[in-house]
Amino acid sequence: MIRSLPLLLLALGSGVAPLAAQGRPLTVSRVRDLTFGTVLPGVPRVILRTDPTNSGQFDLVGAKSNQVLLTFALPLVMTGPAPATMPLTFGGSDAGYSSTQAIGSQVAFDPNQPFLATLNKNGRGSVFIGGTAQPSTSQRAGPYTGTLALTVAYFP
Amino acid sequence: MNTASKLTLAALALTVLATAAAQAQVNNANITATATVQQPINVSTGQSLNFGNVFPGVAKTIATTDATAGRWDVTGQASTLVNLSLTLPINLQSGLNLLPIANFTGSYNTANNAAAATPFPVAGASTSLSGTGALFVWVGGQVNPASNQPAGVYTASVTLTVTY
Repeated sequence: MIRSLPLLLLALGSGVAPLAAQGRPLTVSRVRDLTFGTVLPGVPRVILRTDPTNSGQFDLVGAKSNQVLLTFALPLVMTGPAPATMPLTFGGSDAGYSSTQAIGSQVAFDPNQPFLATLNKNGRGSVFIGGTAQPSTSQRAGPYTGTLALTVAYFP
Repeated sequence: MNTASKLTLAALALTVLATAAAQAQVNNANITATATVQQPINVSTGQSLNFGNVFPGVAKTIATTDATAGRWDVTGQASTLVNLSLTLPINLQSGLNLLPIANFTGSYNTANNAAAATPFPVAGASTSLSGTGALFVWVGGQVNPASNQPAGVYTASVTLTVTY
């Protein structure tokens, strides 16, 4: 029995050591809102995830080379002058992940589904998102807004 | 408790701590989607295209600058490009009787001034609304009554479609 303890502690030691080395807490932060700009009634407006000005962007910071699970909560509409709403849709490749944090180097994913990403060797990554605003021909004029939430789960 | 048992408990305690440390971390952030919807287009009838009295066998033409030319009044987002298209009849109708209509002409102006309007092909055109979001569109045409055209009041619809 006593002989077996060193092996058990060694095993525990190998499990604890990387956690201690990781240290850095996971953070996700808003970089840029998703901006559709001026929209005309009856004319859909598409913003690509590669649009450097209008796409939405989040930055992630965590443990080096660790995996994170990305899950979006997406609105179905944007809310305008009460009670007007405007449909908002997200296609199967409207989100992108970049471990280099470069908008031109993304891996596309479906924002309607969870996506497993890997932070880079510095523990960083960026998430980009585009979408389509679908104003009706009789869409009421005025400003419209909606909230997109990105939840990042981190498995040390 | 012997030494072996104490070590085992210590090891178990470490296991619990390690497990707790290995719990998933979760964090989240929000961004906002924003859009500004511009004024919708509104098209209303300013004046119907009226040929007045016509005589059998005598064609009659109404120019876009004539007082009885048809006119639509358009409003929308200021200084914005719009597309104009016309849906034109080939006959006016009175009961079962038909009166051919053809040779349509069109023009537009950001002011309600037909004399200074810009002609456009009735197949379609693009132009911009005024700085206040206004546009006026006129239509003319020609009716060609047969020499035995039955008397009556003949009508048909001429439709202007305006899109951004």
